[in-house]
Amino acid sequence: MDAKIIVITSGKGGVGKTTATASLGAALAMEGKKVAVVDMDIGLRNLDVVMGLENRIVFNVVDAVKGKCKLQQAAIKDRRIDNFYLIPASQSDNKDALTPHQMVKFAKQLRETFDFVLMDCPAGIERGFENAVAAADEAVVVCTPEVSAVRDADRIIGLLYAKGITPKLVINRIVPELVDRGDMLSHEDVVEVLSIDLVGLIPMDDQVVVATNTGKPLALQKDSRAGAAFKRVALRLNGQADLPVEIPAAAGGFWKKLGRKIGLKQ
Amino acid sequence: MINGFLHKFFGKGGSKEIAKKRLKFALVYDKLEVSDQILEDLQRDIVQVISKYFVIDQNALKLDIERSDDLSALVLNTPILSAKRRKAAA
Repeated sequence: MDAKIIVITSGKGGVGKTTATASLGAALAMEGKKVAVVDMDIGLRNLDVVMGLENRIVFNVVDAVKGKCKLQQAAIKDRRIDNFYLIPASQSDNKDALTPHQMVKFAKQLRETFDFVLMDCPAGIERGFENAVAAADEAVVVCTPEVSAVRDADRIIGLLYAKGITPKLVINRIVPELVDRGDMLSHEDVVEVLSIDLVGLIPMDDQVVVATNTGKPLALQKDSRAGAAFKRVALRLNGQADLPVEIPAAAGGFWKKLGRKIGLKQ
Repeated sequence: MINGFLHKFFGKGGSKEIAKKRLKFALVYDKLEVSDQILEDLQRDIVQVISKYFVIDQNALKLDIERSDDLSALVLNTPILSAKRRKAAA
């Protein structure tokens, strides 16, 4: 196998990197690929709880990179989705526990074992970012339609270009009603500012909170709009580059919206 | 689209225009950030050039980057003590 290693990054924290990593990983595995998601947020691990695998951690990525265990021992198999593995972060170390050089070496092992490896990058542009990006072939930048998130995304995109990576953009937590009302940056606005390829638009979805609460993958929630949107991103990353990007639409029909516009009761 | 049209029709501007404007300026400012060293070097070079034509008080010279809503400007303030008498062109 010769895995494609994709780093999921954003600069700003709290925009949905971890949810994106878990959802994209699950969707790729459900496409029949052997997938590992790696939590690179050393010292502040969270991908394990989002995936509901927090009780099964024995070894972690720092152990695996340093050779204290085998890769197979650190990779926790998800029992709900075939071919889906989590390599958790260590909670007791800090970002300096690893170096970019070590990560490049570790990536060789990952490439031999999996089809896709998704690196869940920590917020920030320091060592944690460097480590997560060191071995990546591709990058997905996640941002929300907010000034702060787009600004940080712009900075991260610059840093990725400097490393020879051309990132793709996922815009998360779009609230179509707010966009329609002119109170939220539209995806066109964000793409215009960042000018990189768009690979997905994810609507705001209560199911994400439910999935995180329960530790059940979003990809397995049947009626999740965000889950469906992430699935389409996964298909695009898996070679279906031509799959059109769907624009999240407001719930309720045209007349309802029109009624709201002209001041009728909602 | 329809909504956007109605919006314009009724003349209600959403806050996103403000967000977009602020964002664009923030990015321009971020990229304009220059170190003190660069400003010092620039000042030294400018003093050299101006001194060819004017006698200036080099200590009173002030170089700043001024930022307002619409633009960023490099502002140089220097008292001119006198014009240098230029030698006749050879």
